[in-house]
Amino acid sequence: MRVSKILEMAAANLKQRKLRTSLTTLGVIIGITTVIGIASLGEGFRFEIKQRMQSGFELNVLIVFPGSLTAGFGEPFTQPELDSIRNISNVNLATGMRTLASAEVYKENGTRIRALTVAGINFSEMQQMLPKRFIIAAGHFPSENDTNTIVLGYRAGTNNSIPVVDIGENVTISIKFQAHGTQFTHNETLTVAGILSEGGTAGITNFDYWAFISSKKAAEMSGGESYQIILVQVNDAQKASQTAREVENTFTNPYRVSVFVPSSFEQQVDNILSLLQIFLTAIGAISLLVAGIGIMNIMTVSVMERTREVGILKAIGAKSRTVLSMFLAEAITIGIIGGLIGIVTGYGVSYGLASMLSSFIQPQQQADTLFSTPGREPLSISPVFTPEWTIAAFVFAIIVCLIFGLYPARKAAKLDPVKALSYE
Amino acid sequence: MATILQVHDVRKSYRMGKVVVPALRGVSFEVEEGEFLTIFGPSGSGKSTLLHLMGGLDRPDDGEILIDGSNILKLSDSKLAELRLNKIGFVFQFFNLLPRLTALRNVELPLAIAGISEKETLERGEKMLKFVGLEARENHRPYELSGGEQQRVAIARALISNPKIILADEPTGNLDTKTASEIVQLMRKLNEERKQTFVVVTHDPRVAQEAHRTVHLKDGLIETISENNLPTRKE
Repeated sequence: MRVSKILEMAAANLKQRKLRTSLTTLGVIIGITTVIGIASLGEGFRFEIKQRMQSGFELNVLIVFPGSLTAGFGEPFTQPELDSIRNISNVNLATGMRTLASAEVYKENGTRIRALTVAGINFSEMQQMLPKRFIIAAGHFPSENDTNTIVLGYRAGTNNSIPVVDIGENVTISIKFQAHGTQFTHNETLTVAGILSEGGTAGITNFDYWAFISSKKAAEMSGGESYQIILVQVNDAQKASQTAREVENTFTNPYRVSVFVPSSFEQQVDNILSLLQIFLTAIGAISLLVAGIGIMNIMTVSVMERTREVGILKAIGAKSRTVLSMFLAEAITIGIIGGLIGIVTGYGVSYGLASMLSSFIQPQQQADTLFSTPGREPLSISPVFTPEWTIAAFVFAIIVCLIFGLYPARKAAKLDPVKALSYE
Repeated sequence: MATILQVHDVRKSYRMGKVVVPALRGVSFEVEEGEFLTIFGPSGSGKSTLLHLMGGLDRPDDGEILIDGSNILKLSDSKLAELRLNKIGFVFQFFNLLPRLTALRNVELPLAIAGISEKETLERGEKMLKFVGLEARENHRPYELSGGEQQRVAIARALISNPKIILADEPTGNLDTKTASEIVQLMRKLNEERKQTFVVVTHDPRVAQEAHRTVHLKDGLIETISENNLPTRKE
C-alpha cells in the first residue's frame, strides 16, 4: 500500500473520532509545550546569567591575593614577587594595589566621604587593566609623579549622582593604627583630581566605593612597599586558568597565593545552569511520557473497536505489515500534529511565563549595593529558542507516539482474520 | 475446463473451551474455472469454515487446498495475504464495508492495498460501480445505502482486482427475497458474461439451485454433489 494512501486513511480515521483525537493530541501538546517552555526559559536564563557574568567580570583579568582561604591572609606581595608574575608569557600586564587598612576620608568641614577602601595604585596601569571600568567622569587622572592628589570612585564621590566634592577641593585621609598599646592617627591632606564613572563589580569587588591615591603616597603612609592585591591581565583569556596555575607556580609555598579566575568561575556557573536546564527539561519530558500512555490507551481501545475492520482488510488481502503501518500512521500523525502545535504553544507560554517572572523580580531591583552591576536592566529573562531543542522536542514527540503506538498496532496486525471477521 | 480450486480430504476442528468441535471431517471436491458452485447445508454444517479455508483466511488441520495450483498450507501469512489480494474476492453476509469510506473508496480498497496508481484505481473503481448499477451512489457511505446496494458495493469490491474466484458467504442471508434474487442474478450475470468462477455458501435452497453444481454439506461431511438443471437467468 502506498504511503500517501496509508496517511490518507489514517487522517480519515482520526477525523472520524474528533473528540478522542483532540484529547489524545492535547496530551502531546501539553508535553511538548512543557519541554519547549522549560528548555527555552532555561536557555534564556543561562544566556542572561552569562551576559551578566561577562559584564560583571573582566574575563581576561586575574585577581591575585596573598594567602588562602584555609590558611588565612598572608603577608602582602613583594616587588620581586610582582616582577616574576610579569615574566609569565601569557601575562600582558600586572599591577599591584596597596590598600590602606582602616582609612577614612573626610571633607574639610568634617563630613565623611563614603570611601570604604583607600588604595595606592599606578593610575596608567589601572586604566590599561580595566579600560571599560576605570574611566574618569569628572576632573582628570593624576600625572605620573603627582603624589598629592586623590581620585574617588563613583559612589564615594557622588550622592544620587550629585558630586559630594568639587574637583580641586582638599580632603583628608585619616589612618588609625595601634603601636605599643596606644592608638595613633595619621592624617594626610590631598587634592581631589577626579571622580570615576560608575564601574560596577569587577571580579569580586566594587571599585565604586574606593578611593585611589598614588602608589608612592600609599607606601609612605603605610610604611611598606608591598601589595595586597595584584591584578593580572592575560593576552589570551582562553588560557586564563593555565596562566593562573603559572602564577601560583611562581611561589614556592602554595598557600602563599590565591588566584581568582573569572572565566573559569563563569564556566562553572554555566555548567551548573546547563545541567539544571537538562534536568528540568527531563522532568518536563515525563509529561510527554504520560501523553504516550494516553495514546497507547486510546489506540488499544480503537483497535478493539475496529477488530472487524481489521478482519475485512485482511480478508481482502492486506498484509499484517500494512495493518501495522495503518495504525502506526495514526499514532505518528498525532505526534506530528501535537508536536507542531506544542512547539507554537510552547513558544507562547514561555514568553508569557518570562514576562510574569520578570515582573516578579522587578520590585527587588536595587542598584545601590556593593555587588550590583550598573548600566543594566533589572534581571529579565526572555526565552531563547534554539533549533536544537525545538527539533529534539519534535522528534521526541514522534518517537514517544511511535513507541506507545507500537503495542496496539502490533495487536491489530496480529489479529486472526476469521476471528476478527466474526467479532461483534 | 481447468480445475481452479482443489479441496482434498480437508479436516478442521475448533476448540471451544476444553471441547474440540470438529467443523470439517474430511471433505474433497474440485471447482472448475468459470463454474458457479453453491455449498448448501444447515447452519453448523461447516460451510463457512470451508469457505474461509478455500479463501486462504484460515489453514486446514489436515488435507490439502490448492488455489490455482498453490497449496495454502505451504504459504506464509504474507504470501497468503497476497494470494487473497490477487486471486480471491470475498462477499459476506453482513457486507463488511468500511463505514467511513464512500462506496467508491470501498470498491477501490483492494487496488489501494495493492498500491495501484490513483488514476487507474479511480478508473477501475468507477467502471466496477457502473457494472453493478451504482454509478449514482459512488459518494455515498455504507449507512446511506440499502442492504442490496451495500451488497452490490461488496461484489464490486470483490471483483475489482479481477480475481480468479469469488467466494460468497451467505450473500443473500441479510436481504429480503426480492433483493436477494437480484443479487443472485447479478452474480449469475457476472459468471456468464465475465466467466467469473463463483463459490456461494447458502442455506437457502432457492439460492443453492441457481448453480451448475451444489455441494450438500452436513455435519462436516459431503452428503452429495448434485448437478443442477440451471434455470435461465432472469434479467
